[in-house]
Amino acid sequence: MKEPWYSRAGIEALVVLTALLFVAPVVLIYVTSLKPEAEIVKFESVWPKDAREGIRKNYEYVLKTPEEIPIFRWLGNSILVSSSVTLLVLTVDSLAAYALARLRLPGKKYVFAMIIGTLMVPGQILLVPVYLILNKLGWIDTPWALIVPHGAGAFGVFLLHQFFKAIPKELEEAAMLDGAGKLRIWWNLMLPLSKPALATLAIFTFVGSWNDFLGPLVFLDSVEKYTLPVGVALFQSSYSSEYGLTLAASVICTTPILLIFLVFSRQIIRGMAMSGLKE
Amino acid sequence: MRRDRDWTGYGFLLPYLMLFGMFLVLPMVFGLGLSFFRYEMLSKEPAKFVGLENYREALWLPHADGTRGDAYFRQALWATVRFVVLAAPLTVTFALLLALGISMAPERRQNIYRLMVFVPTMITISVVGILWRWFFADQFGLFNIWLTRLHLREVHWLTDVNMAMKSLVLMTLWWTVGGPVVVLLAGIKQIPDAYYEAAAIDGATGWRRCWYITLPMLKPVLLFVIVLNVIGAWQVFGQPFIITSGGPERSTLVLMQYIYVTSFLNYRLGYGAAMSWLLFLLIAAFSLVQFRLMREK
Repeated sequence: MKEPWYSRAGIEALVVLTALLFVAPVVLIYVTSLKPEAEIVKFESVWPKDAREGIRKNYEYVLKTPEEIPIFRWLGNSILVSSSVTLLVLTVDSLAAYALARLRLPGKKYVFAMIIGTLMVPGQILLVPVYLILNKLGWIDTPWALIVPHGAGAFGVFLLHQFFKAIPKELEEAAMLDGAGKLRIWWNLMLPLSKPALATLAIFTFVGSWNDFLGPLVFLDSVEKYTLPVGVALFQSSYSSEYGLTLAASVICTTPILLIFLVFSRQIIRGMAMSGLKE
Repeated sequence: MRRDRDWTGYGFLLPYLMLFGMFLVLPMVFGLGLSFFRYEMLSKEPAKFVGLENYREALWLPHADGTRGDAYFRQALWATVRFVVLAAPLTVTFALLLALGISMAPERRQNIYRLMVFVPTMITISVVGILWRWFFADQFGLFNIWLTRLHLREVHWLTDVNMAMKSLVLMTLWWTVGGPVVVLLAGIKQIPDAYYEAAAIDGATGWRRCWYITLPMLKPVLLFVIVLNVIGAWQVFGQPFIITSGGPERSTLVLMQYIYVTSFLNYRLGYGAAMSWLLFLLIAAFSLVQFRLMREK
């Protein structure tokens, strides 16, 4: 890169400014949740004057009225649902990708083409028929409705397929000579060798399920079965003008996912990049 | 390795194929079938085959006042088109500019900028809604507080019919630009240095290099980002549902929300399925045209 230093510095200054603008609203969620209502609507300064008062007014109310806002219930539901979805997707997709990438199957080409053909199918248009199928299964208003349908997505199979294909044949043959069966090879060879791809898929699946809004909105009826996003949305609709309270709930909802993001940011970013550079 | 026909491998595929069949293939076929039925969930009447009646109701059923089709459907389609036309090009252009800008910074700082731009994408839509409703509020809204302090006129971000959709687009830009930035940045980094070195020898400067090397080399990735973004934009639901609930005067009531209301609040599942298929056809046609256009260039 041979641009003169001043034009590079100018461009980077613009980038920094934009990046700060992107983070600022997230910081505002946190600092504003520490303010009492009167301070928020006046907004004389970004930082709270007395954080203790804001904590007392906002967080205590949110945390101490579990019959009205069962936020830990919702948090628990979210964790249960998202972890189950992740486990299901990883297991099912890696088994399928192993078969498609490494085993001789009659008609494999057609099965693979069919699965990949659905990569671009927008999931939301399936809402009504999926609802009726779940209804037939008796899964409406149960966590199953939020878990099992997610196992049908083609993205993970595709991602892991690309990864498994790149693993050298010799390793597999050596394992076979040692008498390892297919299941052993999948578990002891394929999975450990594709940890980055599995981590990427795990995080994507977890975050996608954690942030899913339309699914729980349509498939659940009882408030105590809600996941955080729908629960918080319900809470906000009944306290729409009380920013302090709703922002405190937002903090509780956002912190776990931001922590995951900060810890796994490298995998997440790599996964995002991989998803665009396939082919 | 055995070369005979070995079906045991299907054991590995079976769990996925069952889910795939049950929750992807079946719903697609079932949804299409359902769209030819009058099926109201709460009524005692059994589902009744009505042929293309649901599609006719949406598109060309004549009314006493001389209009044709479902006015709400038309309005929702129009609102969705406005969202797609505004949000998709803005998001992709902004993402491209940001990715190009970030790619010029030193490696370590690139990672920090990328991380910062991606943070909003991790936040769930209901929290995004809480935050931006506060920003956009007419009274005590953060944006209007600041506008007043700068002695500028207040803006009715969400209550003005001409403004609401633009406000949602602004918020969407903040929420969703991170993904495309990351993908485009990875694409830019994949371009071999040799191309730039050759161009430098030919005396090409910054903008020309960007125009003649980066952009052409980036085309496949850019195409992927554009198509994915447009597909996503057609299905927009959370932003208007949570922030404006489709108002004011239905100006932000998009197709997905109308489908949701029709199917799950009015219980007209057949009609909802028909509209879903219309949306699917629109998205498919749009994606095909995009692929064609980009391939030809």
